[in-house]
Amino acid sequence: MPRSKTLNLIFLITLLMFSAVTCLGQSTTGTVSMSATVSKFVEINSGGAVTLAGNSGGGVTTDGVANSPLAVSINLGELGPSNTNSFVTASVPLKLRSNAAYVLSMSATVTSSGASSSKIGAADVGFGLGTVSRTGVGVNAGADTNATSGDPTLAANGSVNGTTGRYEFTAVRSNLNAFSSSTTALSGPIIMNAVPRSNANGLTVPAMFAVKPQFFENGTTTISVTFTVTAP
Amino acid sequence: MRLRHVTYSLLLALIVLAFAQTTFAQALDISSGGLPTITGAVGGSVTGSASVTNDLVVTINFGEVSPLNTNSIVKVVVPIALRSNQPYQVAVSMSGLNNANTQAVQASDVGFGLQNPRLLGGAGQVCNQSTHIIRTPFNNDPALTATIGSNGRVSYQSSLGSLSGSTIILSGPELSKNNSSKRQQSDGWIFDAVFTLTPQFFASGISSATLIFTISPGPNVPC
Repeated sequence: MPRSKTLNLIFLITLLMFSAVTCLGQSTTGTVSMSATVSKFVEINSGGAVTLAGNSGGGVTTDGVANSPLAVSINLGELGPSNTNSFVTASVPLKLRSNAAYVLSMSATVTSSGASSSKIGAADVGFGLGTVSRTGVGVNAGADTNATSGDPTLAANGSVNGTTGRYEFTAVRSNLNAFSSSTTALSGPIIMNAVPRSNANGLTVPAMFAVKPQFFENGTTTISVTFTVTAP
Repeated sequence: MRLRHVTYSLLLALIVLAFAQTTFAQALDISSGGLPTITGAVGGSVTGSASVTNDLVVTINFGEVSPLNTNSIVKVVVPIALRSNQPYQVAVSMSGLNNANTQAVQASDVGFGLQNPRLLGGAGQVCNQSTHIIRTPFNNDPALTATIGSNGRVSYQSSLGSLSGSTIILSGPELSKNNSSKRQQSDGWIFDAVFTLTPQFFASGISSATLIFTISPGPNVPC
């Protein structure tokens, strides 16, 4: 092939390649890829106002406010024999929400100023979780496991010790001595369906505390309880 | 002599083919319409090209959409540039988002709408006899049409759940004045594709989807 024709051929091929490149600069399709992450989420808040009963003196110092962080302070009042009620009880509503199976644990410390074994101790403070409620739009139906024995004032959960005469909360996990370290109190499946956080519903359960007024050694007692919810 | 004929025939065929490809390319084109934006995200991002002469390749990471994200909504706006010298239509198809758990993120949980049609520069074609039609139900900003259903879950006027196969979302008359074979800075229209996801108590996990936007010849409407 003559040299001039070879050059023409190269020139034309170059033009065609240029044209092809131009074509590649346009497209009839485009792509949008997307992803999203949903992490496990659990929370505990106040389920509402505290109910204090059987008290002589005392009162609710800092009350619970529904859907606000749980930070309740209660003065149980007089717990000696001058309080003639059978029990001083405090019911603290809890509200739990999660997008995963949850575990509610609790730990408690009881500190008394007395020096003898008659001072108020952790075993003298009854505890239990009441009826679990999963109601409202967006709340997932599910069966929860209450690891406590429920209302500590129930006759089945405590009695007077025939030997010592001291009232004892005897049922499983029915007093704060069982929660000297973080211990499971309640567990269950996913609480919330796919609804926004602005949905105020959730699982509610009352945390019930009780002290039987007795001839405790005089002094003051401080009870501190911490609830923790996790998604294992 | 015979070789010369074969050579010229081959060259002629290549020229015709190239001309045909060039004509097709300038007739219908989809590209980036500018830099996409994201708001309300926690740990999220969006990437794409700011140049309208680059291909439409956008990656959206909505980030955390559990209640850990306390923003009311995560919103992404993706500008899309369209060019054509003939009536067109745009279709979208989706793959992914097939979570078996109904409480996990579903296609219907991702709001999707088209908004804000505007000229891409002076060579964009303005037609008086036909309008660009955003097909029902996609003509909305899903951030503004989000509502809470009877089951407490957020729903939208239109979402990725509104897509069925290759779904036409937009059509109209020609978009460009010129017949340039090259993608230019100012020769078409831009539409905003808006995506939203409201943080909720979704079942935990990672969800993903891919959308393909395709422009093709549309209903024959006058300009």
